[in-house]
Amino acid sequence: MRIIVNLDVMMAKRKISSNELAERVGITPANLSILKTGKARAVRFSTLMALCHELKCQPGDILEFEDDE
Amino acid sequence: MNWTKDKSIALSRVCVVMFAALLLALDVSAVLMVPMVERRTQMFLMLVTLDHGTWTVLVALCSVFAWPALWKLWRLLGNLREEKVFVEDNVRLMRAVSWCCVGVAASCLFCGFEYAPLFALAVAAGFMALIVRIVKNVFQQAIAMKSELDLTI
Repeated sequence: MRIIVNLDVMMAKRKISSNELAERVGITPANLSILKTGKARAVRFSTLMALCHELKCQPGDILEFEDDE
Repeated sequence: MNWTKDKSIALSRVCVVMFAALLLALDVSAVLMVPMVERRTQMFLMLVTLDHGTWTVLVALCSVFAWPALWKLWRLLGNLREEKVFVEDNVRLMRAVSWCCVGVAASCLFCGFEYAPLFALAVAAGFMALIVRIVKNVFQQAIAMKSELDLTI
């Protein structure tokens, strides 16, 4: 049971680089990398909102729930 | 069960309860203690005439714990100077200092059988150990919270 972050998929669809997205969202490239690799423990609503705004998508496009069963 | 997170706090709580019981016993027996306080001048004289052998043993035993404690405190201050506050090393250092205080308390307790006023010093050292231990518990929780916060994007 886990949350999968599909940020790289959305970034590829929007043709945006990590550095550019990090700059637009207002987080460091290192933190964006933590988010992309699924190492993050939590995501602030403000960060999620900024990501959705820049990528023109819904939270569900970035985050996906995967059950064990 | 994680020793550092759960059992450590449980042990600290046990120590607090023990000191509370000791304090309660002291409160209840306060009336009985009055004659002892009245004999404080006599106790002072006993301090002056403390047996040379007991004093030597006490200093030797306490030094065994005091030197490592001072070294750990020195390292702790070094970490703080380098702005390493909520790190595991500081928790380990504080744990060591706490056990050194317990060692001093045990030494005073041991020598207290030869010279009764040292029992008071044993209680003081034990209380100091408890305080350091609880500060260590606080640091432990703070480290866990910090790591959680660091991975919140």
